[in-house]
Amino acid sequence: MKKYSLHISLIPALLLVMLWAPLTVTAMDTDDCLGCHGDTDMVDEELFIDAEGFLHTVHAEMGCDTCHESVTDEHPDDGEAITSSACLDCHEEVSDEYMATSHAENATCNDCHDPHQAHGLEAVSGTDMNQQCSQCHENDEVLSSHAEWLPQANLHLAKLPCITCHTSSDSYEVLLNITQKQSKTKGSTGYNFSTYADLKEYSGEKEIQSLIDINEDGHISLAELRTFNLNPAYKKLHLSGTLVPSEASHDLSTLDNRYDCTFCHAAGPGSLQTSFLAFPNATGTYTRMTVDEGAMLDTLYGTPNFYMTGSTRSASLNIIGLLIICGGFIMPIGHGTLRFLTRKNRQH
Amino acid sequence: MAETHTDETHKIYLQPIPVRIWHWLNAFGIVTLTVSGAQIRFPEYISILGSYKSAIYLHNTAGFVVAISFSLWFFYYTFVTRTMANLYVPKVEDLKSGILRQVKFYFLTYFLGWKNPHHPTPDNKFNPMQKSVYLAIMFVMMPLVSLSGIFLTNVDPLRGLIVMVGGLKLLAGLHFLLACSLIAFIPTHVYLATLGHTPTEHIKTMWTGWEDELEEEDHHETVNDNLATSR
Repeated sequence: MKKYSLHISLIPALLLVMLWAPLTVTAMDTDDCLGCHGDTDMVDEELFIDAEGFLHTVHAEMGCDTCHESVTDEHPDDGEAITSSACLDCHEEVSDEYMATSHAENATCNDCHDPHQAHGLEAVSGTDMNQQCSQCHENDEVLSSHAEWLPQANLHLAKLPCITCHTSSDSYEVLLNITQKQSKTKGSTGYNFSTYADLKEYSGEKEIQSLIDINEDGHISLAELRTFNLNPAYKKLHLSGTLVPSEASHDLSTLDNRYDCTFCHAAGPGSLQTSFLAFPNATGTYTRMTVDEGAMLDTLYGTPNFYMTGSTRSASLNIIGLLIICGGFIMPIGHGTLRFLTRKNRQH
Repeated sequence: MAETHTDETHKIYLQPIPVRIWHWLNAFGIVTLTVSGAQIRFPEYISILGSYKSAIYLHNTAGFVVAISFSLWFFYYTFVTRTMANLYVPKVEDLKSGILRQVKFYFLTYFLGWKNPHHPTPDNKFNPMQKSVYLAIMFVMMPLVSLSGIFLTNVDPLRGLIVMVGGLKLLAGLHFLLACSLIAFIPTHVYLATLGHTPTEHIKTMWTGWEDELEEEDHHETVNDNLATSR
């Protein structure tokens, strides 16, 4: 009886093996594809896939044959035309949103996104988010059209990804990047995002996350953030903050409330409470780590280099300021009262 | 520069035109900066100047005007009349006894009906207490608030310097607290201006330039001495 029941339980497993066997025999795996397509000597430029970037995408995890179904073991000798799945086969939810925008008339998915280099919002920096936009929208034109109504237009454009305003995402979060001053030999004088290699010089054998996440619990506390900001060894490293939408949306129209400065520049938008620190990976993408709630409002040490007028103001400074102003009324009120009470003494 | 009227009451030309223009420009600028600054910091409560954008433009413009007028004031007293140090820097005597004498007057003998021990002249406009306060305001607070404002309006080009002084948040906090201190000075300043012979006497002087002089004989001599030296 016991032996019989064992046989029954093996049947589904056997069926599974039988079903999978033909697939695994006939289809190429990703490594096989990249054997040729990852080598410029083997294929033309338009067929070349940058393996370094591709292998870290979700698309790579699914395997080449998920989208290119017609590829056989005999490819390319069999002369079969290679099919490619349409993006909307999987990303159905994007369709309605994007097709309603004027962008849909001018650009297909592939015009903006390279499916072999596509990363989620959480894996790219704010600057990377603008790459798609800058393919068509010239920097000068963008600057002049924004400068017509936006104060400090160049600062806004330099610090914020386009999709922070041109989106329909309901919520936002603060993204902090580690930046460092570029050496003059690199030809740039500004602060640029530190790369994985840059930070590895500081962390040595340890993971770069340990520069800030000292106890290595995968979360950055306010105390850890302070320690990092005050550590003289990291004097050249600075945190740079930006505001990003929590979700990627393809509704690229500008909503009316984005013209209202107080959409961002007002205290207490919940999204400002949440922040992440984006650590660079060796592959050029980023991995986010959560930071304590309210780090933005820690006046001196939380994020000394992230300040957003009207939003990151400190409640304690407001109270001190109010007390100072109230102090200015001590003389008129106190002295004025005594002056009134003793007015007869001055009637000469 | 100092002149006297030959009227029955002695008048003294205390505030020359450039100083009066500077004073009222400064006053108007500081009120504008206070209101627009309040809207910039508390946009969800204050919208007196319309949009946030207009508050920013107005704040930046008024800040620029006040910074320029400060520079002109500095230039006028340092290089034209060359009385900056004399007017604004307390002398040893001021520190030793002058401040105490003035404090005693304002907080005690004033209420008993005594006269102000300080008699303003063009060369000695401020009493020792005023000198010390104005020194802090004009030589420390005004330059610092203007400088931090210039930094905050040029965040991108001055980023290296901003990081060097401790970051944007520190700079904005400093700008805010200095502004609060200067705002706190306004009610005190206006109140003290009403402590003349009549409540509006000093305020009129800042508008016309002429101040009524005391009639005590000993003081006439002091004024005449000063006038003689200033000629």
